[in-house]
Amino acid sequence: MLTFTLRRISLFIFTMLVLTLLSFSLSFLFPGDTVINHSGQTNATAAELVELKASYQMDKNIVKQYGAYLGHILNGDFGQSMASQSPINNEIIELLPATIELSLVALLIAMLVGIPLGFIAAINHNKASDNAILSFAMIGYSIPVFWLGLLAILVFSITLGWLPSAGQISLLFEIEFVTGIQFIDILLSDSPYKWQAFSNASAHIILPACVIALAPATIFIRLSRAAMIEVLAASYIRAARAKGLTFQQIIFRHAIRNALIKIIRHVGLQFANLVTIAMVTEVIFSWPGIGRWLIESIFQRDYTAIQSGLLVLSCFIFIIHILTDFIYAALNPLARGNKHGA
Amino acid sequence: MAREKIYLEEVFPSPFMQLWGIFRKTPVAMVGFCCFIFLILLAIFAPIIAPYSPVDGNLQMILLPPAWHVDGNVSYLLGTDELGRDMLSRLMYGTSLTFGLSFIVVIFSLVIGVVIGSLSALTHGIKSSFLNHFLDVVLSIPSLLLAIIIVAILGPGISNTVWAIAIVFIPQFIHITRYAVKEEFRKDYVLASRLDGASNFRILYYSVFPNIVERLMSQATLAQSAAILDIATLGFLGLGAQIPLPEWGAILANGLERFYIAPWTVYLPGLAILFAVVATNLVGEGIRHALKLRKES
Repeated sequence: MLTFTLRRISLFIFTMLVLTLLSFSLSFLFPGDTVINHSGQTNATAAELVELKASYQMDKNIVKQYGAYLGHILNGDFGQSMASQSPINNEIIELLPATIELSLVALLIAMLVGIPLGFIAAINHNKASDNAILSFAMIGYSIPVFWLGLLAILVFSITLGWLPSAGQISLLFEIEFVTGIQFIDILLSDSPYKWQAFSNASAHIILPACVIALAPATIFIRLSRAAMIEVLAASYIRAARAKGLTFQQIIFRHAIRNALIKIIRHVGLQFANLVTIAMVTEVIFSWPGIGRWLIESIFQRDYTAIQSGLLVLSCFIFIIHILTDFIYAALNPLARGNKHGA
Repeated sequence: MAREKIYLEEVFPSPFMQLWGIFRKTPVAMVGFCCFIFLILLAIFAPIIAPYSPVDGNLQMILLPPAWHVDGNVSYLLGTDELGRDMLSRLMYGTSLTFGLSFIVVIFSLVIGVVIGSLSALTHGIKSSFLNHFLDVVLSIPSLLLAIIIVAILGPGISNTVWAIAIVFIPQFIHITRYAVKEEFRKDYVLASRLDGASNFRILYYSVFPNIVERLMSQATLAQSAAILDIATLGFLGLGAQIPLPEWGAILANGLERFYIAPWTVYLPGLAILFAVVATNLVGEGIRHALKLRKES
């Protein structure tokens, strides 16, 4: 486990270096002055500019410049937003939790729907229900997410009027900002309307989360189907059957556990995909998250915001990636590397 | 009576022809393949067969519903938008933008990715390990996110979108080529031709490529379905194709304001995207299915 951890940590450091290098070089690639792109201070006076140049070591060579930039990032200083002139780390702290909340709920829905469906398809391999689930997966995988979001709004918000179409919670509720994750904040608050607020927030999250969940769910269907088919063909299943276990016992005690382990490995990779879908969905559902903020910054040519948003988002994706790797290794001793006797 | 065949010649079809033989027998895959060919033909011949211009509107015919609707007009089969532009013609021209461009983009990235990938498969040591790590990082960033960043650098517009998506798809082709070439190089037939004195490039060209071409095609279909969705999404967000261009995502975004009174301006381009992506995915599924069957036989 130790070598495994060390390997992951070295990969993490390497990735972070590449990502910061990328966002550092973005300042040179974007139009405009590099130091202004780094700091976002568009209205700086001449004296302030000199100070900024000194703090980013702009007169030294490129390696030192990168070091100075890295120092700023490590101190939590992402500069100012060019559009609003407020510090970017404050904006990110406010917006990132909303995205985390939305994407985790969507991931949960995707797994809860996708994995059982995949298992059902695998158990009925090459039968009608298998084909039906596979065709559903194909369509779900191919549907453009923005179109699906619009159709969902048209059907469930406008025509049927069941669910709200925009925002995180109704503006009537005043929830104090503590963690930024709406559900936790509501539970922490001492408002008398706590449960109304909670149900309102849940009603707001259902539609965007389901829209985001569809594409990853279809991928989970395919993954879990493939994993289950592979497990059911394994010899230990045949041994269990020979022992005279019933079909339910084989599936629930032996097959599902072994198939689940194979799926967990892919959750990290799917999460990256899910976050991108979430970015587009946030725009459609006016969700106050970092994806919408990032896309708005592109329209406003807010280069400092773009580069820090990219850094934070990919950092978040990568941390989840590593976390799932650890969960996988904790659950599956075979993945920890040193194979004894192999 | 003349006998045409004097002796029975045993013919071994090439790996590619074996694959085609299996592929042809899967009806669903063939339907997808026909749709795919149809879309390519449409993309090429759209300017000839489209009934109207995609950008000039007819102001007498604003927001006409599709022809099957009570108020529809049969000369505008799929209705018109808020400027009286014929939806059918716009969707046809859109095929060459969304579908045609994605096809070209994927071919372009495929060629560059294969060249870099096969060169890097022949390298060893620290260079190779660095490339491996670097590719892992790039591949862990979703293609759309990376495309959005590149568009942010280059500025919005259809040509910048195309460049962004081409750049984004190169790493995955490098990765798959590298992996496939390394795997093939360990096999005995490569050793055999090496013992014959063939150089690395000769082995690559005559021995390895014919054996990995299907895997590359399968990856290309995956990349293309992602490319169609990415081009459309960027168009929808306003970062891709700009206003008068009939790109499917942009048409959809354009209809958004009149979503409730003219829903066909939103659901038709969406259906077009769905159709193109499903057709591409069916072809990809067919290739993967055939690959699996060929491996088993």
